[in-house]
Amino acid sequence: MPQYKLTVNNKEFTANADAEMPLLWVLRDLLDLTGTKYGCGVASCGACTVLVDDVPVRSCQLQVQNCGSAKITTIEGLSEDGTHPIQQAWEKVSVPQCGYCQAGQIMNVAGLLKKYKQPTEEQINEMMAGNLCRCGTYTRIREAIHSVIEEVNK
Amino acid sequence: MKTRFDRRNFIKISSAAGGSLILGMLLPTACKEPEAVATCSFQPHPILKIDNTGKITVYVARQEIGQGVNTSIPMIVAEELDADWKNIAVEIAAYGTMQPGDHDTGGSQSVLLDYEKLRKAGATAKAMLVNAAAAKWKTTATACATEASMVTNSNSKETIAYSELVCDAAKLAVPKDVTLKSPKNYTLIGKATKKSNIKDILTGKAIYGIDVKVPGMVYAVIERCPVLKGKLVKFDDSACKQVGGFIQCVTVASSAAPMHLHAGVAVIANNIWSALQARKVLKVEWDEGTENTDSTEALFTRFAAKSTGKPTYEVFKKGNAPAAQKAATNKIDVTYTAPFLAHGTMEPMNFIAAVTKDSCELWGGLQLPDWATNTIAEDLGIKKEKVKTNLTLMGGGFGRRLHFDYALEAARIAKQIDKPVKLIWDRTDDIRNDTYRPANLHRMQAAWDADGKLQAWQHHHVATSIAIMTDGPEAKNVPEMLGGASSDLWYDVPNVHTGYSHVDFNLQRGWVRAVEICVNTLPVECLIDEIATAQQKEPLAFRLSLLENRPAYETEITKFRQDPNRIANVLKLAAEKIGWSEPRKPNHFMGIAGHHFTFAKAYGAHAIEIELIAPKKFRIVRIVAAVDCGIVINPDGLKNQMEGGTVFALSQALMSEINVENNRVVEDSFFNYKIMHFNEMPPLEIHYVESQEDPGGIGEVGLPTVAPALCNALAAAGSRPRTLPIKKEGFEWV
Repeated sequence: MPQYKLTVNNKEFTANADAEMPLLWVLRDLLDLTGTKYGCGVASCGACTVLVDDVPVRSCQLQVQNCGSAKITTIEGLSEDGTHPIQQAWEKVSVPQCGYCQAGQIMNVAGLLKKYKQPTEEQINEMMAGNLCRCGTYTRIREAIHSVIEEVNK
Repeated sequence: MKTRFDRRNFIKISSAAGGSLILGMLLPTACKEPEAVATCSFQPHPILKIDNTGKITVYVARQEIGQGVNTSIPMIVAEELDADWKNIAVEIAAYGTMQPGDHDTGGSQSVLLDYEKLRKAGATAKAMLVNAAAAKWKTTATACATEASMVTNSNSKETIAYSELVCDAAKLAVPKDVTLKSPKNYTLIGKATKKSNIKDILTGKAIYGIDVKVPGMVYAVIERCPVLKGKLVKFDDSACKQVGGFIQCVTVASSAAPMHLHAGVAVIANNIWSALQARKVLKVEWDEGTENTDSTEALFTRFAAKSTGKPTYEVFKKGNAPAAQKAATNKIDVTYTAPFLAHGTMEPMNFIAAVTKDSCELWGGLQLPDWATNTIAEDLGIKKEKVKTNLTLMGGGFGRRLHFDYALEAARIAKQIDKPVKLIWDRTDDIRNDTYRPANLHRMQAAWDADGKLQAWQHHHVATSIAIMTDGPEAKNVPEMLGGASSDLWYDVPNVHTGYSHVDFNLQRGWVRAVEICVNTLPVECLIDEIATAQQKEPLAFRLSLLENRPAYETEITKFRQDPNRIANVLKLAAEKIGWSEPRKPNHFMGIAGHHFTFAKAYGAHAIEIELIAPKKFRIVRIVAAVDCGIVINPDGLKNQMEGGTVFALSQALMSEINVENNRVVEDSFFNYKIMHFNEMPPLEIHYVESQEDPGGIGEVGLPTVAPALCNALAAAGSRPRTLPIKKEGFEWV
């Protein structure tokens, strides 16, 4: 079985995996990073979103053989202790219900803010449209996004 | 498998038992399981442990599925204990440490049922700490005051922390009677409080069922017969053996009531990816039987035919509605329909089981763990006491995990192999093998006299029964799905007939968030609007005229206390907040609906403003929800639930539907089983009534009035939808 060296959350990992195994399962089952969630496996929900070189990617669609030397960031690596401005905004607004989709939501917002310093409503809608929340926390996610935009642009 | 679960009984019995389980089971367990630094602790009730480091652990028996019981329940305990919220640690109560039924989580019942018990547990612990302080100070308990995990001597003004009293309190007798606070003196209840595990959720540390790992565990996925009640003829896994990591295939037998399973072949591998890959090359031949050509289109035709006759089951009869209808000159006769619906929890079904010859261990999310554990024990032929169930957080419940088909499958697989096995459903498995909310059709008839006074109301609910799924063909509670529309119809009409007819269909059915109240509120709250329109009356005023002068009463069959004035109040609150009586902008229209969520003891309303862009094309300008669920434990949790309930119901009103062709579900992912997306979300606000009444439930109350309020707004704009999702009638929203 091929061996892959991956950089996840600024740490080096080695994974013995089938070349086509999606990054999602490498993270969850081989590296024990279960903060990244499986929701659909076909990029219809966004629960598995991680950053790959600062771009939000559905980890269920990225094969381990294509990760190369990219810097991968998961929810566990966003901050040491939940103090990243996005996590703080999520806490302030009290966003989660079941919480299952929120790692994907937060990582997608991390990507949004890497792309746009002050995204417009249209840019927010476009970027967040693919992240589903069955509990229906959308109103609070929007509020938290606006809160973090304000915070980081102070 | 004979184990039965009666949902109506669960709701009824549990409601009655609400305040009575309590103090008989209080046993002081001094210094039990000391923590690393704690040298003393006491546990005056299984749900509460206090140790001398100051840590106060609340073991939450109800399952956390996103509805916030892991916060509201500890808040109630902490309130009566006068604990500092910062000292509270929350843990999932281990299965088996509570009384039967205590872990069950459904019907918006958790807070409603446990309120008294939780208060008494907190008050009992507080009394013991106070008694310990009084003994230390050689004074009386009445001379001691408590606040923020401290006792103060009212005479000397000395203070002492709870932590310093734990070792003494542990030696004291548990008081039989304790005084509870007056709700007027609550300081924590009523204060917006963040979820107790919010930090874990936001850092990826929260462990859901799908995240659990057990040493030596292997992984399984199941290829299932595409139709229920099919059989396996044979399978060929020779190609699977070429897939790295593949271990073996085992069969999973089909199963009937109480928990239906499709026949299946489980593909087992040493990681989930290999199992998924091997499944793709597995060859299976099924005997689908004869029930494999039906469709939802044909089912709705049968529903319509059935609806014109007399209901199979007469559920509620007052006066003579058919005669009053016949005699009247002003009448209406209309039909409303709604499709099968899937739950679509974000965490797909999954479960871990390890089975030996005479024991079994289970890990995962279950809303009714007693039912699951007992049924699985029976299925495996293992004594109940030899089954250890480990409960986890769930990535959404919505009633899906009241059913435990996925857990039974895992147990049946694990029985055949000598390792623990984690079963995961992929999203297609999840959408295509759900316990669907029944498709339903309602024939509604009403009549009124020359003065506009309602004289007759007939409601014929035609659907595919859930009870026949859970209890088998001889089910006694087939017509149980008339909640909110039988004796508990909130409008005062002298002649009422309601009935139910079941039409068979080979598809699994089950309870989905707010089930029957949601299903019945659509026809009830649309029909009343249609009658108001026919009488050229203002729809809100028309409702209020039927509700405001009706005194509270006990409903005849369901025995719920129902106060029509509380429906009137939430209707008025929603109307006020949306600006119902203010001049409307051109092409802007509003709809409203109210209801009593009977078994949750809560009253809810929605008002929706739309802008008509072209005929049948609209945008939702704003949604306002109003709720009265008695005293509010956690306003933040309440608002979150009402927001979430509204979004859930908005999906149902606008877009969600499960279609069946050849007894196979057509939809297979969130690409075609549509639910609300972030960018589609209209502005939404939640308001609640300040109340001192005992708490009701909230998890389901946000749903029932969304679709009727939207349909009523569209009717005001010129065209009334009577079919959900409304896209089926050509409505388009932007």
